[in-house]
Amino acid sequence: MGVISTDSPDSAAAATARPAMARVPLARTVVFGAVALLLFLLVVLPFGWVLNNSFHDDITGGWTLGNYARIFQSADLLEPLFNSLLLAVATAVIAVGIGVPLAWLVSRTDLPFRRSIRVLTLTAFVTPSFIGATGWILLAAPNSGWLNALWRSLAGAEAGPLLNIYSMTGAIFICGIYTVPYSFTMVSSALDEMAVELEDAAATLGSGTLRTMLSITIPLVTPAVIASFILSFIQGLTLFGVPAFLLTPTGIPVVTTKLAEFYQLFPPEIYMAAAYCMPLLLVTAMLFWMRRRILGRKQFVTISGKSRAGRRIALGAARWPAFAAALLLPLVSVFLPYAALLLVSLTRAWGQGLSWENLSLHWYWWALFGNSETHTAIVNSLLFSTLAATLCVMLGTVVAYIVERRMVFGASLFGAVTTVPIIIPGIVMSVGFFAAYTRAPLNLYGTPLLLVAAFAATFLPIAYAHGGSILKGIGPELERAARSLGAGEGRTFLSITIPLMGGGLLSGWFLVFIPIIRELSVAVFLITPKTNVMTTLIYNAKDGGNYEAVCAMSVLLLLITLALVAAAGPLTRLTTVRRTSRKSGRKTAPAEGVLPT
Amino acid sequence: MSGIRIKNLRKSFGTYTALHGIDLQVPNGTLLALLGPSGCGKSTTLQLLAGFEAPTEGEIWADDVLLSSARGVLPPEKRGISLVFQNYAVWPHKTVAENVAFGLAIRRLPKAEIAERLDRTLRTVRLEALRDRYPSELSGGQQQRVALARALAVEPRILLLDEPLSNLDAHLREEMRFEIRQVHDLLGLTTVYVTHDQSEALVTADRIAVMKSGHLQQLGSPEDIFERPSNAFVATFIGANNELAGTSEGNGAIRVGNHVLTAPDRSGAAHGGTVSLCVRPSQVRLFGAEETGLPAEGCNVLTGTVQRSAYLGEYRDVLVDLGGGRTLRAFIPPAQSFAPGSVVTALLPIGSCQILGPAA
Repeated sequence: MGVISTDSPDSAAAATARPAMARVPLARTVVFGAVALLLFLLVVLPFGWVLNNSFHDDITGGWTLGNYARIFQSADLLEPLFNSLLLAVATAVIAVGIGVPLAWLVSRTDLPFRRSIRVLTLTAFVTPSFIGATGWILLAAPNSGWLNALWRSLAGAEAGPLLNIYSMTGAIFICGIYTVPYSFTMVSSALDEMAVELEDAAATLGSGTLRTMLSITIPLVTPAVIASFILSFIQGLTLFGVPAFLLTPTGIPVVTTKLAEFYQLFPPEIYMAAAYCMPLLLVTAMLFWMRRRILGRKQFVTISGKSRAGRRIALGAARWPAFAAALLLPLVSVFLPYAALLLVSLTRAWGQGLSWENLSLHWYWWALFGNSETHTAIVNSLLFSTLAATLCVMLGTVVAYIVERRMVFGASLFGAVTTVPIIIPGIVMSVGFFAAYTRAPLNLYGTPLLLVAAFAATFLPIAYAHGGSILKGIGPELERAARSLGAGEGRTFLSITIPLMGGGLLSGWFLVFIPIIRELSVAVFLITPKTNVMTTLIYNAKDGGNYEAVCAMSVLLLLITLALVAAAGPLTRLTTVRRTSRKSGRKTAPAEGVLPT
Repeated sequence: MSGIRIKNLRKSFGTYTALHGIDLQVPNGTLLALLGPSGCGKSTTLQLLAGFEAPTEGEIWADDVLLSSARGVLPPEKRGISLVFQNYAVWPHKTVAENVAFGLAIRRLPKAEIAERLDRTLRTVRLEALRDRYPSELSGGQQQRVALARALAVEPRILLLDEPLSNLDAHLREEMRFEIRQVHDLLGLTTVYVTHDQSEALVTADRIAVMKSGHLQQLGSPEDIFERPSNAFVATFIGANNELAGTSEGNGAIRVGNHVLTAPDRSGAAHGGTVSLCVRPSQVRLFGAEETGLPAEGCNVLTGTVQRSAYLGEYRDVLVDLGGGRTLRAFIPPAQSFAPGSVVTALLPIGSCQILGPAA
């Protein structure tokens, strides 16, 4: 061996005291250009159009501040704001009030069947809340609801309805129970990550169980609790499906349903709608900023030692009562509504009551094969979600790489733009994409591309954050080693970084795919009959009153979602385990993010 | 054969300057150790050499090719420079053989040649038996050898080693030192070896560059560095050393407290300048206060009180309090013994003492 030839044809250039390569490689320019263009189209342009439209008059088309003035002058427009805030506060109170004790029971005590409780809570997590609302309409509609019928059969026919799901209380209840999983997940993972040694240290200093909990455990999870309160608040504020199903029929407006109303007017007040997005955006932006500040100081929570399974607090006699209490959430968020949906979907005609003759798979057959509309929606849902999730993960990963490795000056700007959609509620995203892409030169209305792009943009922050967290676990030396052996940037990314991200990328794909397939609000202004998806079909069909078909579609959507969730874990593990026989697969924390519906 | 030439290399990160204009030459085929405490700029120098950072000022040349200047940097993959990382950076998703063959595959060499060079390299680092293992199934030392093999397989013109042994346990570290030197002797690669461990540098290097705070303190052979340190920092950093601070009296004399001591003056300081008298503890001899007829000729004589004494088998490590906040370490024969508190006379042979200036 020895010294190899320099294989550099550039010795002559060297004499000019300028290394031979200063030009930027073509591939780099192309990739960065494509990323910048995509971010512009997916984030900057829709947002820009919303902002621009908000300053225009719907009738004259001229510049105006009138839209904003109207928000504060018209009681019609102020009322939804207050209703939304009420819904948001109540949702957050319920989510934290139930989620935190539940997380503590599951993570820290000897509660029986804690794993099952965890799985059921996760099931509630992936259940689109508007489908939960549909189930609860069957259970607690004032006249036809089963629980009310049961009540009447007990209390007499003349008794009023026990429950009325078509009310603010009903909407708060539904938003609350389907937001509990957010606070549960955040707080229980904070509890799981917390080193048991921290509690042990207090115990060795003579602190009792209660004292330790008050002075060590609770302060350590407080940031997670506050952050989950904020996230739940945002959920309550930005949900569209639940208020549209439960509040619109009784004429209680919230911001999100009011936005939909602007589109249904004739002529539609699209510019007014744009302005009406702004209060919502302002509040979500502020809340995310607060959450970031809180989580920014959170590091001390995750100072984890070797997290062994900690000793659990014995509940003693309270064990089974605690279990019964813990079961309440799965009961109201999973068992009851799922049972209602399933039963209705399996009857030929719901009005004829439950009987063997009435049981049938008719509506499933109808939804899958008999009806071109539902058939198209199912195919669309799967196709669009696949394409959108793929685009989203690819773009998110590349941006995360550029940012994480600081590959260009101003890389953090890429990251900031990619994160912007996290503050944009789904319904506002819908407004934005409608504004940007229903006009020349980029008129995409009626094309699948419009929905795919909107879905990808909405969940870009999740893919980006997830990609970033995987990359943080991959030392840059692994890539630098490849560079020093002669691999260029592209080659290094493809042959070292991507394989090392491996299973993490796949789990990121699922992390994006699942919320996309159950997403309603982003699609709501963008669909046409040809580009209908399952969620929008359910939303629109509900008004038609064909509950059997709605339920069959809902059950199908739930089945697809749950199957994917079940498949995600094993599939991800399959791709990670092989090469690391010692370590049992890298654990990647799922990125947080809103999953608006 | 001109090797690596580094000219006035400067690197700033924002307002912090990591390197203050370094000049270095590494002749072809030699092994240079960049030695210094953390934050001295040695790792920055290595990153600049590898092409992962751009210099703020100055140039790096390899033979007659300009690799880096403030105006541009030849990308790492075009330099023909292999780098072995402190944490090995062995790819966990590739087997030993795949790791080592990666650089060869990048060069699109014919299959037969890849196989041949792979075998030869694995043999060099004695990894033939482990070729199909994944890194997670290897020990730290084996991973280290994979990293070395991977860097060597591509037959680079320059090899960079970034603290390659710091993650190994003490026993293995000592063994690998010799192994690295052996591989260097076998292949004759121009090598730059970054370390903060002076004995690693002494064992492996042909030449040592001692750095501190972004400045080059001394460049020389291991013997130069140890026996003729250019300043008090180098003397103290390499091996055990006594450093008695004082002021220059000119003419090879230094005032330390009330004493005027003499020694070869290599400080270049003017009369009254800040200098130190440096002497290795192994050169200091101690005698009891009551002993007479000391061989004091040609020695500086100091008296003090024994503060502590540690028995280390092959010698005793004695710390003597000279008063005025000054102490003196002496390694004395184990047969000699002084209880703490006893008054001793210390003889410092003038020839073993040096008057040195402070660090650059």
